[in-house]
Amino acid sequence: MDPAVLMAGWVLALPAIGWAFWRLNKTIDERSVPLIALLAAGLFVAQMLNFPVGGGVSGHLIGAALAVILVGLPAGMVVMTTVLVIQALLFGDGGITALGLNLLNMAVIAPLVAYAIMAVFKGNKLAVPVSAWSAVFISSVICGLQLGLSYSISGGAYGIEMAIALPAMAGWHAIIGIGEGVITGGVVLFLGKVAPETLRMSQVRTDKEVVEHGA
Amino acid sequence: MERRYLVASVAILIAFAVGLVGYYALSADLGDGLEVTLEEGGWEEGEPAYQAPFDYGSDYFTGLIMGLVGFAATFTILFLYLRAVKTRKSDR
Repeated sequence: MDPAVLMAGWVLALPAIGWAFWRLNKTIDERSVPLIALLAAGLFVAQMLNFPVGGGVSGHLIGAALAVILVGLPAGMVVMTTVLVIQALLFGDGGITALGLNLLNMAVIAPLVAYAIMAVFKGNKLAVPVSAWSAVFISSVICGLQLGLSYSISGGAYGIEMAIALPAMAGWHAIIGIGEGVITGGVVLFLGKVAPETLRMSQVRTDKEVVEHGA
Repeated sequence: MERRYLVASVAILIAFAVGLVGYYALSADLGDGLEVTLEEGGWEEGEPAYQAPFDYGSDYFTGLIMGLVGFAATFTILFLYLRAVKTRKSDR
């Protein structure tokens, strides 16, 4: 990736993540602590499990929509940030230099997309899988744009030609997103039956309501 | 911590242990969407700027152990951070 694009990733991601930590610090309640930590740990192992999507390609759960649905937007962003930072620092997954862009795509954009779709289609049965699919698809299209932009800015030294990067990222992730939608929908359906109180975002409660009534 | 979170942790780890069998049987040799895109674009991976202490392993048992390490690290770091925030908030 071109250094300017890498830097832009950090510049855009850090304020949003800072806001998420600040918001969560203000609204966190005792009962949410183990749920949020367990969700992050669960997403870490889930992201290790790739599934084949055909054409010699695999995909794995990102989990941004699931995190937002279970614990709300700020906590969901914190969960995704924790997972990505541990993957990069402990396991070298994604790399340190690209961490800013990975955070922007998967800890900021994907949760925001999921949150927006859940809020707009509140109460609709398809909101959960559609938000999960959209979070994967839109964040990967943006990743494709970043690859293409890197190529253009660096005169071909970094990144990939936009004409290759964008359709490939969009095409593969349109398929991978179906897996994300199915898994997220299945988990939410299961939790709705066994532990409905864990589904915070599906009720789209405001932070004020959470403070007043607890998680 | 409530018993249900311990039960949920065990359930997640069992699902991971089972899922890992499927991963090594079906997907371990396949690149993900980004990796395939980079490959199609002729991207060549350079030397990493930072050498991480672990990797995900290349067989079932190292993968399982690294999954457990990652699960424990992620849970512990976030749990301790959130507990510290909660305690500091309560002290005010």
